[in-house]
Amino acid sequence: MSESIPVGRVIGTDPATPLEFWVAVADGAFLQLDDVVVVERLLPGAADPIRIYGMVADLRVRHEGARFDSDVFLIEEGVLPAQVTEAAKVLATRFEPEVFVPPVPGQLVRKAVGKEREEALFFDGMERRMPVGLSRDGEVVHANVEFLDGTRGAHVNISGVSGVATKTSYAVFLLHSLFTSGQLGDGAHNTKALIFNVKGDDLLFLDKRNRHLDGEQAARYAALDLPAQPFGSVELWAPPRPGDPSAAPRTGSRSEGVTSFFWTLSDFCQDELLPFLFADAEDERQQYTIVVHNVTARLRRDARPLDDGGVRVAGTTCRTFGDLIEAIRERVEDPADQPDWAGRSIGGGTINAFVRRLYAARRDAEHLVRGDVPNPDKHRIGMQEQLTVVDIAKLSRRAQRFVVGVVLRKTFQDKEETGAREPLLFVVLDELNKYAPRDGRSPIKEILLDMAERGRSLGVILIGAQQTASEVERRVIANSSLRVAGRLDSAEAGRPEYAFLPTAHRQRATILKPGTMILSQPELPVPLVLEFPFPAWATRPDEAGDAGGGEGETGSGGGDPFEGLGSW
Amino acid sequence: MKRFESLAVEGWSPEFGSPVEAKREEIPGEQVDPGVELPESEWRPLPAGERREIPGRVYFVDGVRRIEARVWMSGEDEPRLGICASYAAGMVRCGSRAEIVAAEVRRGFFGQAGVPDLVTRVGTFAACPVAEDDIEQLVNGLQERMGQLEVEVAGGWGARRSRRRSARVGLGSDSNGTNPPLHSGALMLMDGPLRGRQRIPGAIGYVKSHRVQYLGAAPRAVVGQLAPRERTPVFLIQTKWTRYSWYLRLTEAQGHPWAGIVRCEAWPETELEQVRKIADATAVVLPRFASEPHKDDRAPQNLYPIAGLERQLHHRLGDRGVVFRALHQAAAEYRPTG
Repeated sequence: MSESIPVGRVIGTDPATPLEFWVAVADGAFLQLDDVVVVERLLPGAADPIRIYGMVADLRVRHEGARFDSDVFLIEEGVLPAQVTEAAKVLATRFEPEVFVPPVPGQLVRKAVGKEREEALFFDGMERRMPVGLSRDGEVVHANVEFLDGTRGAHVNISGVSGVATKTSYAVFLLHSLFTSGQLGDGAHNTKALIFNVKGDDLLFLDKRNRHLDGEQAARYAALDLPAQPFGSVELWAPPRPGDPSAAPRTGSRSEGVTSFFWTLSDFCQDELLPFLFADAEDERQQYTIVVHNVTARLRRDARPLDDGGVRVAGTTCRTFGDLIEAIRERVEDPADQPDWAGRSIGGGTINAFVRRLYAARRDAEHLVRGDVPNPDKHRIGMQEQLTVVDIAKLSRRAQRFVVGVVLRKTFQDKEETGAREPLLFVVLDELNKYAPRDGRSPIKEILLDMAERGRSLGVILIGAQQTASEVERRVIANSSLRVAGRLDSAEAGRPEYAFLPTAHRQRATILKPGTMILSQPELPVPLVLEFPFPAWATRPDEAGDAGGGEGETGSGGGDPFEGLGSW
Repeated sequence: MKRFESLAVEGWSPEFGSPVEAKREEIPGEQVDPGVELPESEWRPLPAGERREIPGRVYFVDGVRRIEARVWMSGEDEPRLGICASYAAGMVRCGSRAEIVAAEVRRGFFGQAGVPDLVTRVGTFAACPVAEDDIEQLVNGLQERMGQLEVEVAGGWGARRSRRRSARVGLGSDSNGTNPPLHSGALMLMDGPLRGRQRIPGAIGYVKSHRVQYLGAAPRAVVGQLAPRERTPVFLIQTKWTRYSWYLRLTEAQGHPWAGIVRCEAWPETELEQVRKIADATAVVLPRFASEPHKDDRAPQNLYPIAGLERQLHHRLGDRGVVFRALHQAAAEYRPTG
């Protein structure tokens, strides 16, 4: 206890409350935001003092003795005597033992280091904890794994402005920490993660060493006790090139090691994938959704699978998506088949609405749903490796929704069937506002909600991210144990979704630099501001070095490692 | 009927009176010698700006006092009146920054002989016997103690400094040839006249208000003609005690000719040449510290450093209500000793 440094005293000019008090900083000492401090108070009749821990949330410096703004000039010219005083606002984090009393003015305040810091931030009580970043003063910030793996809670939600908030980078860093910190126990190497790459090629090089990782950044990994290495077990999936009969993957800058994915026509019929082509298929106000559900049911019952994924529907052999929707159109428009396929007493207008939408989906989906490629099993996203990256960046919005919806449902169903929580599956999905918007219903939103509400017991953990939490379904966010905010838009920061941030933190969220996040976890009453190291894996082709595993050299990137992130 | 050409509002707040009394006490002509620097016939405003040597440091010494309570002391005889008072003195050093370098607070119990020490929870009011116990004498006693404390603060601090390096307090006190006297020297101003104070070499009295008419009509007219950074010639006052004195103007005259005029005093032991240098230095330096009307109720005469020091000293006297309650409690619990 004696190793901690006295920094000031509790002031008596502002009232001290158990939750919040001000500390005057002594001459020759300083406090910065997020510093952890401790102050003791001896209660009457007690043998040992109680320790009140807190974190610096705000600081103010002023001239004592000045009464007018212009006095500053007089003071600087040496005309008016005044004293510079500095005070720090401290938000209490913990009372040990738990007696909620305010500190007494005049009490000595020390910076909490070592064991005291652990106690202040509840790290001492975390049996399984993983490093989630470094504080401003270079100390490790931990998160309780029990709130991540479903033991006591699950799910992570990350908010922040696109480009500067480094949401995806942080999500990937969390995965890295989960996989390599050893805190998941024996299940760690069976644990899997599924990431959707929604923008650029950022996530297509996770298995490559980052050549721009310099010694300083590598040292930060060392400080976190994490290896500075890329992901060892990665599979990359990309959609097929449109119009390419051999279904070669449509990749950008990454070409090797990428497999194309698609669903066969028989999957499409058997697994009832049709509704995922319609964003508003669950909206009861829409008449044509009845048709969608009827056709889906009909396809499941009537489609006869052929080799290589083709189907035979009502006597028509379908090899392409075009064939299939043509067959569907014929059936729903044929007066004889209409009651069976579209449903009874469905108006012509509703049929037309359905057909129109079906044809509109053709361009987006025809390369993703097909029966014209040999060995289609090779193109089924199998999740054999630890980390599965599905690239949807180059797909249209409708196709993105289709892929995300179908993949999520499949993985969730698979998990449901096994019935076991272990091994865990982490799903990283950016742009949650697109998939689980606050208003309206859609098949994907239902799956995400299901995942948020039941995923904890099923071992499916959602690491979701979005620019604006206010536009995402409340229940998805409410179920997240860990909430993270990167740089926020100032209008957004004022919304109630960020009530977990105290006022000072909200203001800070509007000026956070890339690589800095604010993390709130259930055990801590105060969110922690942390920095995470520059990715040890490549995020761009020019960063990509050799694959992970060996102790390859690290280049010297120099400068701000997060430079250029603004162009994401 | 008499006609007035213009009106002007006095710059000082009314509760502080006026820096210039309408009826000033006249001093017999022979007690003032206006001719020590220039013959009376040659009196004119002396611009100090010609001298570029200005003191590197200026010290301001001031004290404050507050009567906390009147206390009746009863015994076998008639009850006697005493006062419990707090007083403080401090010093500001104005160099590149203005710093309060010394501040002392004392508490005293003023009364006739036999007045006890009064121990309270905010501190002990030390017995300060005075000859008479009418309120005027009691207040004088307090004023005297405060003056002593001012000297103590100024002198004590000077002494501490002189142990560390050559004494620089007092203008030109290190005129040993290695340093030009004015440039490297320091100026020390005591707020108020020098009367009744122990002597600190080089200290200057700074008088804000003018209640006594020292000069005859002709030299007095020169005071009204002063421009900022100008002073009158030095004159010698020989009333009950002797001192050099001069007037200077801090700011442009606003309203009436004596607005912004202050008077300084120097000990007679100082050589006249030295006094002239000091007088020039004050005329150059003091306008810089003059206060603005919206910031001080006694602008411009109440200088910024002094106002700042007074605020700080008043603050250090403590909360009036707390002291008053402590005195109540102490008086109730008082038991004579011995």
